[in-house]
Amino acid sequence: MKGLLRLSGVIDRISLFFGWISAGLVLLSCLTSALNALSRYLFNISSNAWLEVQWQMFAGIFLLGAAQVLKMNEHVRVDLLYGPRSHRGKLWTDVFGIIAFLFPAMLIMGFYAWEFFMTAYLSNEHSSNAGGTVLWPVKLLLPVGLFLVLLQGISELIKRVAGLRGDSDETLEYERPVQ
Amino acid sequence: QEAPTIRWRLTSGFPRSLDTIYGAAETFADHVKAMSGGKIEIQVFPAGEIVPTPQAAEAVATNTVEMAHTCSYYYWGKDPTFALGTAVPFGLNARLMNGWLYQGGGNDMLNAFYAKQNLYGIAGGNTGVQMGGWWRKEITSAEDLKGVKMRIAGIAGKVMEKLGVVPQQIPGGDIYPSLERGTIDAAEWIGPYDDQKLGFNKVAPYYYYPGFWEGGPTIHFFINLDKWNELPEDYKAIMINAGAYANTDMMARYDTLNPGALKSLIAGGAKLKPFPQDVLEAAFAASHEVYDEISASNADFKQIWDSMKAYRGEGYLWYQVAEYSFDTFQIRNRTKG
Amino acid sequence: MLEYGYMAPTMFAGLVCFLLFGFPVAFSLAALGLFFGFLAIQVGYFGPEFLQALPYRTFGIMSNDLLLAIPFFTFLGAVLERSGLAEDLLEGAGQLFGPFPGGLAFAVVLVGAILGAVTGTVAASVIAMGMISLPVMLKYGYDMRVGTGVIAASGTIAQVIPPSLVLIILADQLGVSVGDMYLGAVGPSILQISLFLAFILVLALFRPALVPPLPAEARTLRGWALALKVAKGMVPSLVLIFLVLGTIFLGLATPTEAGAMGACGAILLSILHRRFSVPTLWQAMVTTARITSMVVFILIGATVFSLVFQGVNGGRWIEHMLSSLPGGRTGFLLFVMVFVFFLAFFLDFFEICFIVVPLLLPAAHALDINMIWFGLLLCANIQTSFMHPPFGFALFYLRGIAPPEVKSRDIYWGSIPWICLQLIMVGILVFFPGVVTGFIGEHEELDPAAVQQQLDNLVVPGIEAPDTEGGLPGLDIAPAPDFSEPAK
Ligand code: NA
Ligand code: NA
Repeated sequence: MKGLLRLSGVIDRISLFFGWISAGLVLLSCLTSALNALSRYLFNISSNAWLEVQWQMFAGIFLLGAAQVLKMNEHVRVDLLYGPRSHRGKLWTDVFGIIAFLFPAMLIMGFYAWEFFMTAYLSNEHSSNAGGTVLWPVKLLLPVGLFLVLLQGISELIKRVAGLRGDSDETLEYERPVQ
Repeated sequence: QEAPTIRWRLTSGFPRSLDTIYGAAETFADHVKAMSGGKIEIQVFPAGEIVPTPQAAEAVATNTVEMAHTCSYYYWGKDPTFALGTAVPFGLNARLMNGWLYQGGGNDMLNAFYAKQNLYGIAGGNTGVQMGGWWRKEITSAEDLKGVKMRIAGIAGKVMEKLGVVPQQIPGGDIYPSLERGTIDAAEWIGPYDDQKLGFNKVAPYYYYPGFWEGGPTIHFFINLDKWNELPEDYKAIMINAGAYANTDMMARYDTLNPGALKSLIAGGAKLKPFPQDVLEAAFAASHEVYDEISASNADFKQIWDSMKAYRGEGYLWYQVAEYSFDTFQIRNRTKG
Repeated sequence: MLEYGYMAPTMFAGLVCFLLFGFPVAFSLAALGLFFGFLAIQVGYFGPEFLQALPYRTFGIMSNDLLLAIPFFTFLGAVLERSGLAEDLLEGAGQLFGPFPGGLAFAVVLVGAILGAVTGTVAASVIAMGMISLPVMLKYGYDMRVGTGVIAASGTIAQVIPPSLVLIILADQLGVSVGDMYLGAVGPSILQISLFLAFILVLALFRPALVPPLPAEARTLRGWALALKVAKGMVPSLVLIFLVLGTIFLGLATPTEAGAMGACGAILLSILHRRFSVPTLWQAMVTTARITSMVVFILIGATVFSLVFQGVNGGRWIEHMLSSLPGGRTGFLLFVMVFVFFLAFFLDFFEICFIVVPLLLPAAHALDINMIWFGLLLCANIQTSFMHPPFGFALFYLRGIAPPEVKSRDIYWGSIPWICLQLIMVGILVFFPGVVTGFIGEHEELDPAAVQQQLDNLVVPGIEAPDTEGGLPGLDIAPAPDFSEPAK
């Protein structure tokens, strides 16, 4: 269990790192959007590329950030039945959920997402707008983001199992504050 | 041998609300079903119900769905040659497009290209010459285009960019408020019948013509190439015929619906304006610059564009004799009888 | 297996089970979709390659630039909250009310209305409103059910106040102009805000403990000192909010970009107020990133569900249900409202707009129903679905940002009175269509003769008036083409 928990710690740090990138993109996308609007208004200067990088950064925000959200246990649940469960009951819910829901969903979607990325990469696909950007980098974000969530799922599974075995005293509470 | 039963899904590139274009896919499906005695059933899904429009061609190529009904030029980011299947600025009008496709080698050349994308294409609709969009201010010369912020997609955007226009592909939902407040100065859509639903005449009254970037855009049925090759010959014939009918029928609908829509747009404040001559000439030159640039690095594009360009020369040579004389005489005498 | 079959209704039952299990909504929705996807492959609805649509659809979400409003407005809210400017704003409103209860709640409805007018998306305004106001409400002892209810409700007002994504898409689907739709929304917007304010007034009068005024020690100031304090607290944020509106009004920014302008404005404001610090900004960025991920992953899960729902002919199932519509205007409207109300528990707004609305149109046209009125009825109705426990999207978003001391059951119970208010509104709209149509007015239309005049004045290019206005002047048609050498 010790080794696994160490692995879980490594994964957590990977997710934290991508979480930082995701947070950085928030400010960056905001500034891009505001500056593009200003330069278009004041100098009639803009390009579709400036519009496209905005949604590409948006994609980066949620795809690179989702693993960290999973780590913080902040993906929203319907807690009508979950809330009243005992601590062990909640751990079991997650063990089952990660294995039966999260893993298959991320694996299947990730598999198709990789093919989707490869098609764009091999044809060097551009956006269909004048001055548009190359699309494979943003398409690569999709399999990467799903893989990161899968990876974090492994870490969370380790922590839940450790919690059930009494090897970890981490609380893993759901209703933790966002702030 | 018993004729096989075929059940296919078709993803349209258009929402149900564009009834003339979307409807062509249903027309196709109805006719195919009737001609095959119910053996071929094609279920039509509006854009986005299965896949979003920008992914429709890829979805057919990968056999996610068997068919799509969409514009080839939406996919020119994958390869510029896709643009030639629908329309390029100063390309062909609807009738010449059909002439080139059916008799001028167009279909064969396009399908040789589509085959590389694992697609088979059947022409299935045309809007006719489109309008040049809704503008907040008058354009009196090519000089006025400089700095105009316009929502215009594709190769047309690239041409307009050469004339000093700032193409801005803002989100669909933002167009109306942005046009209203002047965040953008112009936006183009289709023609009177479809434009009428957007109400842009209230916020950008100058309605320019002709939409020289879409002289006769063809909408295609795309079929997964493997699925197409598996079809018995009689089924292929059925689909080609249903496609030809849908192709004619869509054009017929637009020709019937546009006059009334144009009148009610004018009644609602639209001001019809022709593009000035120097705008057309500058755009014509810019378009051919773009084609030369693409042709230099893309053999498929060069081959097909050269063929289309040659067809255009021959076609208009004939048009300027009887067709043009007849049309202009009829136009001048429209009100007299 | 192309008939609608039993699969689609089963998926709805499955949805309830999967979500109630309590694993995060995003992954439960995706897993549910895939579970039924495999069943459907076994039964023969489609082959495995059909699921290749998953990345296509997800990419549709990634590249949907309207969703940029979510990070932008969340960031705006986070900066205002983190820097304490939001607290000043709402406390200022509370000060104005002095010893009278309900002040904060009134302020939340009004700010929600203004933010709603800017953002097109419910997620953005619910989250921004929640971040700004929940901490203040907690601090001053508001009942949490009232607090979360008023926030969810104010956030959903965004739907009906122009500019609104919902109205734009509905207008498109109904074939009416966006401008008319916006005008038609004026009456319902006013009605809705009035209903909400009236409800708070009733609470303030009869259950003041639920909506307490600021405590006595927080309002020691009187007269000019009070006015100054209130002005200092409220003016900057109000200026900011109006600047956001102003950038749209001036033609500087699209509604989506206005969110980014607002967020940058909030940062500038916090610098001017000496409330800015790098850690504060960083916290706001981190919070925004996490909330955006949380919200969009729900959308991704939902897209897996609806792909499979379409694949098992869910659309045809709904069509079948609608084919048994009762006749007559009132019967039709009543049925549609109840039907959409229940469908909206499960389908999100976009699916209702794209799947259900087109199916209703032929009947609505046949009954000669005013499309704008019909659209606003649908809009008011769909709003309710965002608030409906336990699956309302607005409630998910609120749950995602509420501090731990706010229990989910508070959020669920808190939404119920507001759902009733929305239903009252639907009722008023049904029986008094004038609320909608009264604001549309008559269009200024040219008379047919004037239209004909404009058409007759069109230049026939190149013939009558060469080199004048536009077209193809100077075309030399004189020389006959040479036919001696036929074209190949
Ligand atoms: Na067009
Ligand atoms: Na709004």
